[in-house]
Amino acid sequence: MKELSRQWKEGAAKNITFIVTKDCQLACKYCYLVGKNSRERMSYEVAKEAVDYVLNHEKDFPEKSVIWDFIGGEPFLEIDLIDRIVDYIKTELYMRNHHWFDSYMFSFSTNGLNYHTEKVQKFIEKNKSHLSIGITIDGTKQKHDLNRIYKGGNSSKERGSYDDVVQNIPLWLRQFPNVGTKVTISSSDIPYIKDSVIHLFSLGIHNVSINCVFEDVWKEGDDKLFESLLLELADIIIDDGWYEENACSFFSEMIGKPLDSKKNNQNWCGAGMMLAIDAAGNFYPCTRFAAYSLRSKKPIIIGNVRDGINKNLLRPFLSLDRTTQSPQKCIDCEVASGCAWCQGENYDAARTNTIYERSTAICLMHKARVRANNYYWNKLYRKLELEGMREEFEKNKRESRPFIC
Amino acid sequence: MLQYLIILLDDTATSFCHYLNPSKKRNLIPQETLKQGIRFAMMENLTIQFVYPEYKLPKGYEKIIDSIDHTKIMPFCAEYDHEADVYVADENNIVEILNVNRCFSTIVLRVSQYFLLNNIESIRHLIHKTDRLNISIVDIDSFNEEDFNQYSSALQILSQELQSQYKSGKTRQLNILTDRLFLTKMNNCGAGDTVVTLAPNGKFYTCPAFYYEDEADNLGNLEQGLNIKNAQLYKIDFAPICRHCDAWHCNRCIWLNKKTTLEVNTPSREQCTVSHIERNASKDLLERLCEQGFKFPNNSISEIYYLDPFENKELWQQENL
Amino acid sequence: MATRKLVGQVTPEERNEIQALFERRNGLNELAKILTVDNHELYEKLVKDLGETTTKYQSWWNRMSKQYQWESTENGNWEINFDTCEVFLT
Repeated sequence: MKELSRQWKEGAAKNITFIVTKDCQLACKYCYLVGKNSRERMSYEVAKEAVDYVLNHEKDFPEKSVIWDFIGGEPFLEIDLIDRIVDYIKTELYMRNHHWFDSYMFSFSTNGLNYHTEKVQKFIEKNKSHLSIGITIDGTKQKHDLNRIYKGGNSSKERGSYDDVVQNIPLWLRQFPNVGTKVTISSSDIPYIKDSVIHLFSLGIHNVSINCVFEDVWKEGDDKLFESLLLELADIIIDDGWYEENACSFFSEMIGKPLDSKKNNQNWCGAGMMLAIDAAGNFYPCTRFAAYSLRSKKPIIIGNVRDGINKNLLRPFLSLDRTTQSPQKCIDCEVASGCAWCQGENYDAARTNTIYERSTAICLMHKARVRANNYYWNKLYRKLELEGMREEFEKNKRESRPFIC
Repeated sequence: MLQYLIILLDDTATSFCHYLNPSKKRNLIPQETLKQGIRFAMMENLTIQFVYPEYKLPKGYEKIIDSIDHTKIMPFCAEYDHEADVYVADENNIVEILNVNRCFSTIVLRVSQYFLLNNIESIRHLIHKTDRLNISIVDIDSFNEEDFNQYSSALQILSQELQSQYKSGKTRQLNILTDRLFLTKMNNCGAGDTVVTLAPNGKFYTCPAFYYEDEADNLGNLEQGLNIKNAQLYKIDFAPICRHCDAWHCNRCIWLNKKTTLEVNTPSREQCTVSHIERNASKDLLERLCEQGFKFPNNSISEIYYLDPFENKELWQQENL
Repeated sequence: MATRKLVGQVTPEERNEIQALFERRNGLNELAKILTVDNHELYEKLVKDLGETTTKYQSWWNRMSKQYQWESTENGNWEINFDTCEVFLT
C-alpha cells in the first residue's frame, strides 16, 4: 500500500510563512480566516525586511533547511510580489553563503484558480525544483461546491469553484507528480467524504490528506455518520484495489493506540517553531495567531521586522508538551495516538488566555475514525495474507517515488 | 490547595511584590465586604494577610480585622510603627530603617535592579536590622547580560555578610540566598494555587497585580464564590520549565510570568536566570556554612552548567524517556 | 515502459552528500536564470560554482558506482531515492 508522501526533510525544516494577502476570490464556509479583506497586502519592502531579518540572524535559525511559505487568502493573487521576493531570497542566500542555499523550498497552498495563468506558470518554470504547491480540491463537485464558493454571492446565488479548479488539476499533476491535496471536513461534508476521496484518487491525486476541522462544529450523530462513511470508504479502497497506488490520511497504522505520558509527550503542533509574518511586518508563532485567524482572542505578536523576535514570548510555545495542555481524559485515552490539535484553535477556544488548554471538540470524531481505521487494517491485512501478498506489502510499503538524480 | 487569602484593605494598599501599585485614589474596602471576606476565609480554612494603605484605617476596621488570626503587611511609615508583622520598604526607607534603634521581624524591600547593584553596601547593612529580609527586584524583566554578572558579584557580598552573621550566632534570613538552604521542594509565589487575593470590590484575583492590571480579569466574587478557570496552570506540575527546576526558592511571580511570556505557567528568561544566579550563590554559601559545622536539610546543591533551565530542554525530555 | 531495478543502497552519510550536491546544483541552475552579466562578480562566482558542483556531483556517482559495483546498462541511468538511500537502475 502506498503511504502518504513523507514531509520534505522529515519535517525538520524551519517554516517561514509570509501572509502576502488576506484577499481571496473565494469565501469558503469553513475557512478559519474570519478577517479576510482586500486591503492588507504585503509590500515588497516589508517582505524584504523580513527576509533580511531572518538571514541577518543566522544563529537564531540553526535548522539545516528552510521552507518559505506563502499564504493568504489566496497567495497567487500576489504572484508579482512572490516572484520578486523569491528572487531576492535566492540571491541573498547565495551572496551570503547562507547554509540554507543548499536546502530550501518554496511552498504554496492555493485554491488553484490562478494556477494556469501565464504569470504563475512562468514562476513555476523558473523555480520548479524548489517548489511545493498544493491545490485544494475538496472532492466531488457536490462536496467542493458545498463550501468552496466564490465570494459575493448570496445563499440563493452561490457559485462553487469546482469547475474552475478541476481544469487545472491535470497540469498540476504533470508538473508535480507526487503531490497531494488537503481536504477539510466539516459537519455538512460528512455524507460526501467517501465519494470525494475516491473521486480525488480517480483524478490522479494519489495522496489525499483529509482531516476534520478542529473547531467545535460537530453535531450529535456526526461521529456515527462519519464512522459509517469511513467504513464504506475502507471497503471501496480495499475491494477495488485503490490502496496499491493511493494513500488517504484517514487510514494509518499509527493511530488509535494509547500514548505513554513520558515517552510520547511531544507537542503535536509546530506553533512557535515556525515564523509567520504579516503585511505590517509583525511576527507570529504561526498564522493561526494572527488577528484574521482568531474569533475571540487577541493576536499573539512575538515581534516585528524592526525590533526582532521577543524570545520570552516564544518560551511557552517551545515548552509545550502533550500532557501539560491535555485534560485527564486525553492522557488516559486508550486510542490517543493520531488525535491532533491546532494550537491556534486551542488558544481561540480556551476559557482563559492560554495556549495550554487543548480543545477536544474532535474527540468523538477521532474515536469514530479509530474504529473505522481498525476495520480497514484488519480487512486489508487479511486480504493480503489470503493472497500471499503480506510480505511483499510490508517490504514495499515505504517505497515512494525517487528523485531522479 | 488554597491556604492563604490576601485582603487588600484599600486600592492604595502597599505593593509587597514585583508589581507597582498605580492607584492614587483611595478606595477603602467596605466593612461588609471585609466581614464577608473574613467569613469566607474562616469557612475555607485560610490564613489571612491584610495589606494596608499608607493611612490609618477608620474606626471600627481594626476590630473587624482582629476578629481573626492574621498577618499585617504594612508600608514602612510612621503610621504603623510597631504594628506590622511585615514591613514593606523601598529605596527611600533604607536610611530610616538603618537609623531605627531596633531589629525588625520581617522587611520586604522593593528595589530596582539599578539600585540594588549600585547600593549593595546599604543592603548588606540592612541584614543586621531584621530577622528576615525579602528582596523583591521590581524590574527583574529588565536585566541584561551585564546586570546578571553584576548581580552575581553583589550576591557574593551579601553571602559573605550572612556567613559572618551565622558565625556570630545570628541565623539571619535573606530570601534570595538562605531560603534555598532550607527548602526541599518548590516554594514560590503560589498565586492562584495556594493564595488568592480579595480586592475592595469584593472580587477575587490571582494576586493584587492582576486586580490593578484589569479589574475584569477576576476569579469570582464573594457572592458566587471562587471560580478559577484552568486552575491547573497555577500548579508546578503544569509548568513545563519549572517542574524540572531546582531553584526552589524562586519567587516565580505569576504576574511577571503573564506579563513577560503571556502564560501564567512560564517564567521569562530573566526570571529564570536571576533565580539560578541566586541558586548558585546559595550553593556556595551552603558549602561554606557546612564546612563550619552548620546543618541544613540538604547537604549540597548540585553543580549545573546553565543559568536558564529552558536551555536545558533536551535534557528534561531525555529524562522523560 | 521504463523498467526500474534496485541495484544497491548507500549509507545515510553518502546520501546526504549527494542530496546536498543535487539541491545545490538545482539552486545554482535556478539562480542562473535570474542573474545577469550586469552583476558581473556574482555571475562569475555562480558560473564557477556551478562547474565545481557539477564536477563533484558526477564524481560522487563515479566514486559510488566503483565502490559498490552497481549494475549498469548502456543507456541506463542510476536514480537514488533520498528517503530510502536505495539506488535504482532505469
